[in-house]
Amino acid sequence: MAPGKKITARIKRTLPVKGPQAPTLSELMRWYCLNTNTHGCRRIVVSRGRLRRFIWILLTLSAVGLILWQCAELLMNYYSASVSVTVQFQKLPFPAVTICNINPYKYSSMKDYLSELDKETKKALETFYGFSEGKSKVRRSVDEWNSTGSDFFKQIPLLKFEDFSKTATDLRSGQKRKIEGSVFHKDSSIVNSGDSNDIIGFQLCDANNSSECALYTFSSGVNAIQEWYKLHYMNIMAQIPLETKEKLSYSADDLLLTCFFDGLSCDKRHFTRFHHPLHGNCYTFNSGENGTILSTSTGGSEYGLQVVLYIDEADYNPFLVTSTGAKIIVHDQNEYPFIEDIGTEIETAAATSIGMHFTRSRKLSKPYSDCTETGADIPVENLYNKSYSLQICLHSCFQKAMVDSCGCAQYAQPLPAGAEYCNYKKNPNWMYCYYRLHEKFVKEQLGCQQICKDACSFKEWALTTSIAQWPSTVLPSVSPLRTDLANLMVFYKDLNERFISENPANTLVILLSNFGGQLGLWMSCSVVCVIEIVEVFFIDSLSIVMRRQWQKAKKWWNDRKRERPGKPPQADNLERQCHDNPVCIDEDLPTFNTALRLPLPQDNPLPRTPPPNYSTLRLETAFTEQLPDTLEVGQH
Amino acid sequence: MNLKKYFVRALHRLQKGPGYTYKELLVWYCDNTNTHGPKRIIKEGPKKKLIWFFLTLLFASLVFWQWGILINTYLSYNVTSSLSIGFKTMKFPAVTVCNANPFKYSEVKHLLKELDRLIEAALERILQPALGNSSENASPPLDLRLWHQIPLVLIDEHDKDNPVILDIFESNQAAGGNQTTVGNQTACSHQGSDNCTYRNFTSAAQAVTEWYILQSTSILSKVPLQERIRMGYQAEDMILACLYGAEPCNYKNFTQIYHPDHGNCYIFNWGMDEEALNSSNPGAEFGLKLILDISQQDYIPYLSSAAGARLMLHQQKSFPFLKDQGIYAMAGTETSIGVLVDELERMGYPYSDCTNNGSDVPVKNLYSQYNTSYSIQACLRSCFQNHMTEICGCGHYMFPLPEGVNYCNNEDNPGWAYCYSSLRSSITHRQICIDSCKETCNDTQYKMTISMADWPSEASEDWIFHILSYERDMSTNVTLDRNGIIKLNIYFQEYNYRTISESAATTIVWLLSSLGGQFGFWMGGSVLCLIEFGEIIIDSLWITVINVISWCKGLKQKRAQARSPAAPPTVSELVEAHTNLGFQHEDAGALPRDEALPPEPGTPPPNYDSLRVQPLDVLGPDSDAETE
Repeated sequence: MAPGKKITARIKRTLPVKGPQAPTLSELMRWYCLNTNTHGCRRIVVSRGRLRRFIWILLTLSAVGLILWQCAELLMNYYSASVSVTVQFQKLPFPAVTICNINPYKYSSMKDYLSELDKETKKALETFYGFSEGKSKVRRSVDEWNSTGSDFFKQIPLLKFEDFSKTATDLRSGQKRKIEGSVFHKDSSIVNSGDSNDIIGFQLCDANNSSECALYTFSSGVNAIQEWYKLHYMNIMAQIPLETKEKLSYSADDLLLTCFFDGLSCDKRHFTRFHHPLHGNCYTFNSGENGTILSTSTGGSEYGLQVVLYIDEADYNPFLVTSTGAKIIVHDQNEYPFIEDIGTEIETAAATSIGMHFTRSRKLSKPYSDCTETGADIPVENLYNKSYSLQICLHSCFQKAMVDSCGCAQYAQPLPAGAEYCNYKKNPNWMYCYYRLHEKFVKEQLGCQQICKDACSFKEWALTTSIAQWPSTVLPSVSPLRTDLANLMVFYKDLNERFISENPANTLVILLSNFGGQLGLWMSCSVVCVIEIVEVFFIDSLSIVMRRQWQKAKKWWNDRKRERPGKPPQADNLERQCHDNPVCIDEDLPTFNTALRLPLPQDNPLPRTPPPNYSTLRLETAFTEQLPDTLEVGQH
Repeated sequence: MNLKKYFVRALHRLQKGPGYTYKELLVWYCDNTNTHGPKRIIKEGPKKKLIWFFLTLLFASLVFWQWGILINTYLSYNVTSSLSIGFKTMKFPAVTVCNANPFKYSEVKHLLKELDRLIEAALERILQPALGNSSENASPPLDLRLWHQIPLVLIDEHDKDNPVILDIFESNQAAGGNQTTVGNQTACSHQGSDNCTYRNFTSAAQAVTEWYILQSTSILSKVPLQERIRMGYQAEDMILACLYGAEPCNYKNFTQIYHPDHGNCYIFNWGMDEEALNSSNPGAEFGLKLILDISQQDYIPYLSSAAGARLMLHQQKSFPFLKDQGIYAMAGTETSIGVLVDELERMGYPYSDCTNNGSDVPVKNLYSQYNTSYSIQACLRSCFQNHMTEICGCGHYMFPLPEGVNYCNNEDNPGWAYCYSSLRSSITHRQICIDSCKETCNDTQYKMTISMADWPSEASEDWIFHILSYERDMSTNVTLDRNGIIKLNIYFQEYNYRTISESAATTIVWLLSSLGGQFGFWMGGSVLCLIEFGEIIIDSLWITVINVISWCKGLKQKRAQARSPAAPPTVSELVEAHTNLGFQHEDAGALPRDEALPPEPGTPPPNYDSLRVQPLDVLGPDSDAETE
């Protein structure tokens, strides 16, 4: 024998064979149960009697199950957020206040562009409703406007549907004509048929394929005419360059008569012009464009913004806008003012006080909630030169879809690079395309609502509006102007800033200590015993199984090689192993009764040297408590 | 017998414990338990034993103290609330619109003729007391039957203790010199005027309106519901134009409901028959736009002094309580309402006392006849109505009727007004209702930002009025004016929801983790240790049972043989028997136990501990089964 082999043999003999060296799986399990740090498992081995043992197995397994379940629960609730609300009193930056006249452009200066359209509208009113403007008071007559001759009104005329048979009266010719194509809004307004009311609407056809038409009907002529007018109006306005449009709209001097901020007088230099496609020139107070943002250190209406607006009601476009007044919006300097969507209206001949309450919110982004910090992770290009908001995303998304499918951009939103606004001359098809697209957008078929997410942090000014009559009737000097003036006060109600922020409810430390608590509670287990389990149940078990297989294979190989019936050496091996292995104990532990009934050592003397039966030799095992019993058995 | 056998066998199995005396058991437990302290107690020397004993006790008590705190915290069912703000696709609220005036005056004039004449005469008396006589003589005689049920009186309170009460029509010299003329109204329970309550008003206008409302509702409550609906405003007259998002809608999209104060009300998007509409875009373009006609010239003069439309936003399938939560929209304006949905989600029982669908509230919900969901308003009203029908015998016209009860009117129930006002002012009745009604767990409110602009503008009013009159009346003349029409825009704001949701501050998972953490930290224990402890207790119980049995047997034997066995082993011997492995009982010589069976005569008593098991053999022959 080589000296190396000798040494290994010696080591094997002297060192107790444990763990992975255990010859069989059940040995391994027994060794594990006796030596593990988890509770319960040891109990299975230590308990006497099948019932007890079974109960302990059941308990241990259920404890494992509970641990898994509770830990899963802990993991699932890990990403939850708690909210803290802090209110602090401080000097607050004043928000930007954008003020627009509801009417975008002076009607008198627009006559060159709109005369044709207005004539058409009036004609429609006359044919359908018998309305004539002859008795109208001071209004300038449009009839003298010379037409510039464009024929697209004729292509999309207003129609009057007698009933829901497919005939309609054309506005221009007065002729009846047949309507073909699909009818929109089948379910809602079409039901109106039996009534005396006639339905007004218009028809949009695909220019390339005239059989594909969409019919737009409205339950009231007011809506129909406004929508129809707006459609054509956008067509016209899209052809006018921005500089001209700015000139056509109100100047700062026109709109703003007086201005006070924080008790001091201010003027138009404090306002920044901002051209809104649908509301013309708007003026933003405190836009932060010159680098300074005004702030207030006192709350109350005295110290806010106070402006008197001149609303030139006589110069309103009668068909485009039907209400009188101004629109304001309070927003952050970095936000785009969506006047048409969320503006607050201001009445004329009234003083409107708007008290503000400032709230700042911050959400946690992924994985706590589905919001975006900067909008950079959203696949929609921000067409507005402002910081991200949901509105910006939705509008940009729609505009992109519009450019993609119609080939031109919608008038009310900014232009994407390389696109231009739709107008009838260049894109004869755009109106049909736009309406179809808008329909889809509202019905969430464009996917914009799915792509766009909330912004994670945002500022909000909650407004409380109150209205009083102004100027009071005792002021005779301004009375002729009464209905053209509006007084507006915007102020902080108090200087409390409410900050709502989300914080992670769980940290890693809390998660780990909860895990520890769960493992400890059910099984008094720790990370170490998890490693133990991995070691014993995966690595060791595998190695034992592999060893078995390897030995089997070897034996089979040897048998085949020698081609003779071999004696079974395995049992011998096992026994021999068992003798120098103190851990290798008899299958069934000697309980008291078994010991009493089966005096094993005497009845079945082993053929070889009998192993020492003294229980003292088993001291290494955990069964010291059984000593008295076994000792007595030995003495029988 | 079978059962007994089975029981005995089960006990026998359980018996297979680690020891046969308490001491043995205890020592075995200490040695083998998985909690960390007890092992130390038996392993160390006597001094350390003591220290360890006290330490173990200390830690065990610490654990129990901490557990007590934790369990207390859990049982207090605290909640944490989380708040979220943002925009998401939400159900558009149901919108209820009514006219402020319940009925067209032209339709109800014939019913209220008498009353109107009465009130005119009364007003005349109040305003010009001196000239009263002449005017009264000129007009046809008044029907004073209505008057006598609930007369208007003047109360002169110059003398605080004895106010002078004067009926307006009876006192001809009516209080001309009074500086503090107070318009008043009384309700007597019976004709005998001893039992009267007086409601004071400082202003005659207020008194007259209240009186008129009381009288007119009493008159109108006799008119059948169908007729009342016919007398109110019809949907096609009231809703002139409607546009939701890009889609047109019309009056047929509205559900009619009859409201006792406002007559016919119309609800958009109630969600009763069809799916509720969703809105996924913020802004006025995507909201609801309405044009309403309130026909102000047809208002009942004394009934409603405010002109406008009453509207309210509420949840789908909930009943609109317009009188409490409605807002007015002014005529001749465009009212824009930006909506923010304010949701409060409470945890149910045991965290807070709320109800999910009202099924666990002891009040019969009378509004369920409208097929609407539970709300606290509905509950309070149903509760009041139930009290009213119990006490006064008839139902108040403001609330729905329980089965088999009629609405109160002055002819059938002459004392109802008195009964009603006393019930309404009774705090105990109100408290009963407040106590029995619960809040709903999911509470949704609509916060509105309202702004107004003049509408229609001067420039556009011509054609707008023209079209609207043409559409309504088929005439080319303008039949509408600025006083009659209202434009409404209702839409979601940029942030359309604010949700405050409660969640449990201490969940069962938290409790278990904390319990485990504490137990593990102080004693290294787990639940299995507790079970171990339970096991030991069962074992010791069993030992007790055995002891008792053998003691009884021993007693019998003693009596029979009148012979006492030798002295029992001392404690120290027993301890040594378990701690010293080499210890043999033989050293102590004969060691008969009191529980050991008396030996057969002639045979020497066996000394082995093993024989102590013998009492068990008496119990049954089943031991074979388990010993293999």
